[in-house]
Amino acid sequence: MMRQINREWRFMLRQRYVMVILLCSFLVSTFSVTTGLSEVNAQRQTIERLKQADIIDRTKAQAKYDDAGSLAYYSFHLVYSEPSNLAFAALGERDVYPWKHRIRMLALEGQIYESDAQNAELAQAGKIDFAFVISVLSPFFLILLFHDLIASERASGRHNLLVTTAKSVYALWGARAAVRFGAIFLCVLLPFYIGAAISDAALGAVLQITLWCFLYFAFWTALSIYLGRNANSAPRIASALIGLWALFAFVIPILGDLTIEQSIQAPKGSDILLTQREAVNDAWDLPVETTMEAFVAKHPEYKNDTNVEGGFEWKWYYAFQQVGDQVAAPISKEYRAAAHKKHDLAGYVSFFAPPMLIQRKMAEIAQTDAVAAFEYEQNIRDFHKSLRLFYYPWLFRHDEFDKSQLNLMPQFEQTLINSKN
Amino acid sequence: MTNVNQNEVVIESQSITVKIQNSTILSDLNFKVAKGEIYALLGGNGAGKSSTLKTFLGFNTPTSGRAIIDGRDVSQSLDMARSKTAYLPENATLYPHLTAKENVEYFLSLADINKSLEDIEAAFERVALQKDAWERQLQTYSKGMRQKTAISLAILREAPIFLLDEPTSGLDPVAIDEFNFLVKELASSGSTILMVTHDVYGACQVANRIGLLRAGELVGEFEAQDNHRIDTEQVHAAFAQRQSS
Repeated sequence: MMRQINREWRFMLRQRYVMVILLCSFLVSTFSVTTGLSEVNAQRQTIERLKQADIIDRTKAQAKYDDAGSLAYYSFHLVYSEPSNLAFAALGERDVYPWKHRIRMLALEGQIYESDAQNAELAQAGKIDFAFVISVLSPFFLILLFHDLIASERASGRHNLLVTTAKSVYALWGARAAVRFGAIFLCVLLPFYIGAAISDAALGAVLQITLWCFLYFAFWTALSIYLGRNANSAPRIASALIGLWALFAFVIPILGDLTIEQSIQAPKGSDILLTQREAVNDAWDLPVETTMEAFVAKHPEYKNDTNVEGGFEWKWYYAFQQVGDQVAAPISKEYRAAAHKKHDLAGYVSFFAPPMLIQRKMAEIAQTDAVAAFEYEQNIRDFHKSLRLFYYPWLFRHDEFDKSQLNLMPQFEQTLINSKN
Repeated sequence: MTNVNQNEVVIESQSITVKIQNSTILSDLNFKVAKGEIYALLGGNGAGKSSTLKTFLGFNTPTSGRAIIDGRDVSQSLDMARSKTAYLPENATLYPHLTAKENVEYFLSLADINKSLEDIEAAFERVALQKDAWERQLQTYSKGMRQKTAISLAILREAPIFLLDEPTSGLDPVAIDEFNFLVKELASSGSTILMVTHDVYGACQVANRIGLLRAGELVGEFEAQDNHRIDTEQVHAAFAQRQSS
């Protein structure tokens, strides 16, 4: 077998058009990995820069104000979703869902979705990342390499001579296909491996991506060879394969997306923002008791601390902030349920569109998919809750406030399923 | 059909009928070729000459009948049949971007045959391929030179059976003479040759026996007698008559 591989390897090196295709695939892959690394690096630098600014801002606020209410009001907190080590390969939904916020201890839902001008699931703009190269561009290279594997020999009159000379057809077509497959796989994956080494990505995740890419390449290779096995006209096979590529890469995903959008009615992020802000603004005109009753329903531990003296107290203010979230909670839940459902339905559609499937798998492994974005949103909610639980005793029970206790203030910590990825 | 010693039969068409998409390509075709014999299947366009070769190469499956190579049914022993057969297509299109040596090395490697450079050069000399052309890419070759390269490959494979498809088509008279000489030499060294052609004169020059093919049927056979060539006039008359009838 090695002799056959060696023969076809040397033969391939003499085929200029094959070498040009391989070089192009290598350059495109290198470009995508480089831009991916650059984008991830820029995101990390942004986070680091914001972290520094966040500390400075909060330190200033803490120096300026002495009471818990003012400190909670004027202190901003940076929350973020740091890109995983594999994010360079699949930026996924990170340009659709926000990955950084500056939040305060005010009503939260509006803060999460204020940058969400439209439903994030609608935005499907492509990116020239490695996942895009694999899912959309690599089929092109594979079609170019394999569509005329047999047809070109038939057209040039060599087919019968080759087949009758070869010890077995597998030694001929098998070895030739294996060499081309190995060569393009290496050309496309090599930049990814270098990128993964630079990023210190987990070996297991790299192997998973390798396996998915292998299966995906094998699919397009088998399809190209199968359609071209009996044909004489290479352009006709190429046209058919390009048609299938367009069907799988664009038509099915777009039709699927439109169908999903039509079938699932979901509120927009701006609806959540508006609902919550209206609830908060209306609270100024409502009796204090109305707000406090709604608040105590969630925090019964403060049922004896709802009395508000004078015209304004921070506890009333923060209570109606939380009630604003409570009012917006159903619509926010509906939004998230719809987003989850769309994500799940898109998963079913992807079974009929291999480019979509591999893109989703890569984003899943790189933790840059919608699920990772949902987790980040939940991280924000958890952190916001810990902030409220930190401040509430001083606001509602008037416990003695000592600024040194600010050292115990919760810090945002990102949680990833596998932080190494 | 001419009697042939059954013990020496290497190629045999046993009532082969080939139908493709309800069209009969070959019809009850019977002939035998003995070891060391040159058998020419002669016929006009569409007579079924190339289809006959394709059947012996396993590219066509007989609807009925059997194609026998060295005593075994091709459809059941395809790899064996191909390993014993050197096929020379009408247009010996080897790889134009490779030199003659590289082409031969590549195809020999495909057949899993090891030959030294000396063997390859000896084969080139045997087919009278000019030495200065050995290292040139085939895209600079004439058809005759490409044909010689393909024949040298067939020789190097040491296959006992040669299937030649219109081997002299497009060659100049000198190249045809060289080719005929080479084919006779191969036959005299024990190789069995089945060639298809529409060239009456060329077939009579080189063949021991000629089968006349028309619309997929064998309509006549001619045999050289007592070391004399087959009578060209006789074959030509039969060929012309069959074509017009």
